[in-house]
Amino acid sequence: MKVAIDVDLCQGHGRCYEIAPEVFTDDDRGRGELLMVEIPADLQEKVRQAANTCPERAITLSE
Amino acid sequence: MAESTTQEPRPVSPFAVWQAERSSDPRGYYANLRKEGRIDFKTHRWAGGKKGPTAAVLHRDDIGQLLRDVDTYSSEVFAYGPDVHAIPQEIQAPLHTTYRRLLDPLFSPKKMAELQPKVEVAVNKFIDAFIDNGEVEVNEGLAVPLPCMTFLDLLGLPSEELQMLIYWKDVLIRPEIVGGSFSEGQRIQAEVVPQMFARFAQEVEDRKVNPRDDLITYFTTTEVDGRKLTEEEQCSVLFFLLAAGLDTVTISLQAMFYYIATHPETQQLLQDDPSQVENVVEELLRWETPVMSVMRVAKEDTELGGCPISKGTFMVACLASGNVEEEVPESLNLDLTRGDKAHLAFGAGPHRCLGSHLARMELRTVIREWHKRIPFYEVKPGESIEWVPSALRGIDYLPLQWKTKG
Repeated sequence: MKVAIDVDLCQGHGRCYEIAPEVFTDDDRGRGELLMVEIPADLQEKVRQAANTCPERAITLSE
Repeated sequence: MAESTTQEPRPVSPFAVWQAERSSDPRGYYANLRKEGRIDFKTHRWAGGKKGPTAAVLHRDDIGQLLRDVDTYSSEVFAYGPDVHAIPQEIQAPLHTTYRRLLDPLFSPKKMAELQPKVEVAVNKFIDAFIDNGEVEVNEGLAVPLPCMTFLDLLGLPSEELQMLIYWKDVLIRPEIVGGSFSEGQRIQAEVVPQMFARFAQEVEDRKVNPRDDLITYFTTTEVDGRKLTEEEQCSVLFFLLAAGLDTVTISLQAMFYYIATHPETQQLLQDDPSQVENVVEELLRWETPVMSVMRVAKEDTELGGCPISKGTFMVACLASGNVEEEVPESLNLDLTRGDKAHLAFGAGPHRCLGSHLARMELRTVIREWHKRIPFYEVKPGESIEWVPSALRGIDYLPLQWKTKG
């Protein structure tokens, strides 16, 4: 699984890095940044949750 | 109401009736409204100030589109009067983007984590003052002063100014209650707003000579796009922070304390597993949606959710409706141990709440510290609780009681 953040959509709600801090972190404005792109199996459920929780739908997943 | 009251009740306006209906049961109210149509062109006309056609947007996807499409919908709705342009709330891109680049870092999660220990100390001091009484009116004791104290601290204003600040924010947000009537409220507001700007200007002048580690100093020294903020801009930002940052946290605390006080199983949950505080706060933000709606205005003829929208229409983004609705089936149930349901309690799009991370930190700190010390409590029996009939939905009088030790 691969993850991407659309930086034009992200508004810094801060849900992704709270739900999956192993994969997402916050920049100095509170917007999401990726710590990794390829998601290992044990983190995939968390990343799905983070993507579903994003109010801007800025996170996309691909196989 | 005292028995001796002989005064005739004030005539209740249709606007007040509508507001009371919405505030007392927003989930039921909006569920009924959604049955009538995708966008409501009738009942929210009050929210637009009756200045033109009003469209209340009820579904999450439509609300997202409304709040994201800043080319079609403007946030310049003069929420604080015809002469006030609150920065950044009522400013449009590209200048809005510039302001947010400047302001976002000041309210980032990292900055709020630095501030948290101070807020924790303040919360405990407030609790110290009433815990042995076994009861408190939670607004007076905590929910009103805490966000105001935090604000004074951030801005670098002395804590002696607390009462004045509380008065100011009430004049801004609930003028009709301060003044006793709509017209008197408007009169007081028109008088007080210039005083606020004058006071901010005075503080700005002071920081030029006496720079300190506070936000006002930052606003006087920082540069955006190669220039410093003008004094007018600095004051407008301060005005906005005061208007947007105080009552919102207060009403959120009111909604949360009322929910938890009337749900012993939630008190037990927080007692058994204090790490659930984040989830409980996030889910109650969604479920209660204290800021029920925000306003936009259509800049051109357009279409939303299949409905034609004419230029000049006041658009009401009904966040409370979009947060609990049929098109998002999982949103219809409350689940306090899941904080991962997408919600619009802080809005969406480029104008998303600037202070959301401050609000979350304050709300979590209050709920966590309170429950450490007062795990079980209830609304004082015999007291009647009324939701404030306003788009900012809260409970002005909320007496809680608990058993004291020993």
